[in-house]
Amino acid sequence: MESIEKKIREIAKDLFAGGKIDLFIGYERGTVPLMSRPSFIHLKEVKPEDSLDRLVWNSFCANNLAVFLPKLFERDPLSRKKEEAKPRIGIVVKGCDLRSIAALMKEKQVPRDNVVLVGVPCRGMIDRRKVEDMLSGEEVADYRESAAGVLSVTTRKGRKESLKREDILQEACLECRYPVPEKKSAGQDGKYVLEANDYLVEGVARKPGNGGYGRISEFESRSPEERWEYFKKEIAKCIRCNACRQACPTCYCKECFAEQTDLRWIGVSTELTDAMIFHLIRIFHQAGRCVECDACYRACPMGVDLRTFTRKMVKDVDELFGYLPDFSLEEIPPISTFKEDDRETFITEP
Amino acid sequence: MQQGVIKKRDLGKLIAAVTAASSGRRVRVYAPVEGETGVELREVTANTEITFDYANSKLSGKGVFFPQREVLCTFHNDSLEEVPLIEDSLVVFGIRPCDALSFKLLDKIFFNSTSRFKDPYYLKRRENSLIIALACREPAATCFCTSVGGSPAGKEGADILAHELGDKLLLEACSEKGSGFMKVISELLREPEESDLTESSEQNVKAGERLSSLALSGIKEKLDKSFEEPDWDAVTVTCLGCGACTYLCPTCHCFDITDEENGRREGCRLRSWDSCQYPLFTLHASGHNPRVNKKQRMRQRIMHKYSYTVENSGDIFCVGCGRCITYCPVNLDIRDILNTFARK
Repeated sequence: MESIEKKIREIAKDLFAGGKIDLFIGYERGTVPLMSRPSFIHLKEVKPEDSLDRLVWNSFCANNLAVFLPKLFERDPLSRKKEEAKPRIGIVVKGCDLRSIAALMKEKQVPRDNVVLVGVPCRGMIDRRKVEDMLSGEEVADYRESAAGVLSVTTRKGRKESLKREDILQEACLECRYPVPEKKSAGQDGKYVLEANDYLVEGVARKPGNGGYGRISEFESRSPEERWEYFKKEIAKCIRCNACRQACPTCYCKECFAEQTDLRWIGVSTELTDAMIFHLIRIFHQAGRCVECDACYRACPMGVDLRTFTRKMVKDVDELFGYLPDFSLEEIPPISTFKEDDRETFITEP
Repeated sequence: MQQGVIKKRDLGKLIAAVTAASSGRRVRVYAPVEGETGVELREVTANTEITFDYANSKLSGKGVFFPQREVLCTFHNDSLEEVPLIEDSLVVFGIRPCDALSFKLLDKIFFNSTSRFKDPYYLKRRENSLIIALACREPAATCFCTSVGGSPAGKEGADILAHELGDKLLLEACSEKGSGFMKVISELLREPEESDLTESSEQNVKAGERLSSLALSGIKEKLDKSFEEPDWDAVTVTCLGCGACTYLCPTCHCFDITDEENGRREGCRLRSWDSCQYPLFTLHASGHNPRVNKKQRMRQRIMHKYSYTVENSGDIFCVGCGRCITYCPVNLDIRDILNTFARK
């Protein structure tokens, strides 16, 4: 972990020194326990290299940093210039962040030439909420992670616990199929998002998981009534704060359907039907684009189990269209294209 | 009776007594319970298990008086029907002193003696309410109430302040309404002993020591002169633009009024929470948007709480509950923003 952190700082330093980037996006220590947060280091800071010590790499770098990219390449609405130079950005990416960036590049939201990717093999990120649950809600005062993968925590009440990594990793990480941001290897065809000019930091990653399909199969085996009840029960917690949408890298619409007022599609309040429609449409819009990073679930202050619904979508697209967003830039997502042999049974025989 | 002690296990009796003494009017008692989303402030009965083991409830208490969704009137073809005001008595038990203070602040928005405007929906509920706050024994690391005029045993906005002493509660009346209520439940109370009073004041001191403090003197003036500072870019750059901070905030009170119609010429006029973090919040009919990016929107949120309300009513509209810090998906910490400008 420490060597990865050092390497990230070195790469960022070289990129700034070589005049290759204007901005570096990584992680820094957060102000609450068990959370690192996104960190932006600008070239225009007096000496970016002095700020580079802010950058960290640890088991709490959960945020999907790809979420920031579409906005950074958006035209500044306040600008009166006709043409604006696009920023050149260095960005730390885990497998999930990189899959999101690949999806964004395919949708032309991120120009390939303006980003330098710093891939980091991922051992999985620790779930703050799982840790809190294991401490029966006690606040964490201090924590340290050993190289052997044990998180030692001390609560503010003085209770000490040693927690095994595997017990407190985020579900998304336990199920993750792509823990290493791959470069194209010899013999592979196709255009891969991580190119020769990008970086892949050396490090240990976890063993790839199975995508959580087993869990979804169990969900599918329940009766439609049961599934509907579960959906209603979860969505009833929603306060319509839009954190799920805003944290999702592939939710970048400049104007969300939920905010269109002329015509208006849905109501603005927490009325259950409005909240259900909001989530149904948001999740459907992620068909073939969701990279299973669980940013939506992590961002939700109310703990709505969005991941069961997004993952069901991923599984459906995989099974119906044989498409799973990965690191390749070639295949077009099913929602953006049409094939004559596309299955339509979900329309004709629902 | 200004002070009295009640056993925690007698709270059910207290709820029953309150309901019985209501002379026909419906009484709704809200209290913190372990729920699906964490500790929730929910309507309880004498048999509900109330929790005491929490730093703060996930959602603040503002929803009791200012619900996220409120139907103001309904319509059908050309006829309009008013929705009667809620006349129920509302007893809010177990909110933290920061949330109690937020009611005092919200009162200044929704009605005040000098203003022509009185919000009947909020006002009616507040008039019929009784607030029993619960002093904090173990404030969270994200709490900073003492920096913004509050205290772990703050009485402002509360009618009664309860101190948790093991299996009992020391109740202390802090308003006339509170004293009246203590009379109603006097049979359930015993006189506090000297040890109860010492224990509670020791607890308050300890709780205060746990709190982090910010140097916020002159923050209004400092913010005012920093409006155009480039620092705003740096401190808001990671904001995702969601409304979690505003919806969880006990003092954020902006709302929208919309008409919802079902296509058959019937529907309702609705008031619902709105958030200054949403682009639609300030979008003009012309298409112009005076707050077009997230920097401007986050700056508005901070300025509103620490400058504009200070100018309007003399109060900082932040009670230091720390919810926006705990639940921000990118850990954008309001304390960092304040510190940045407090140093100016």
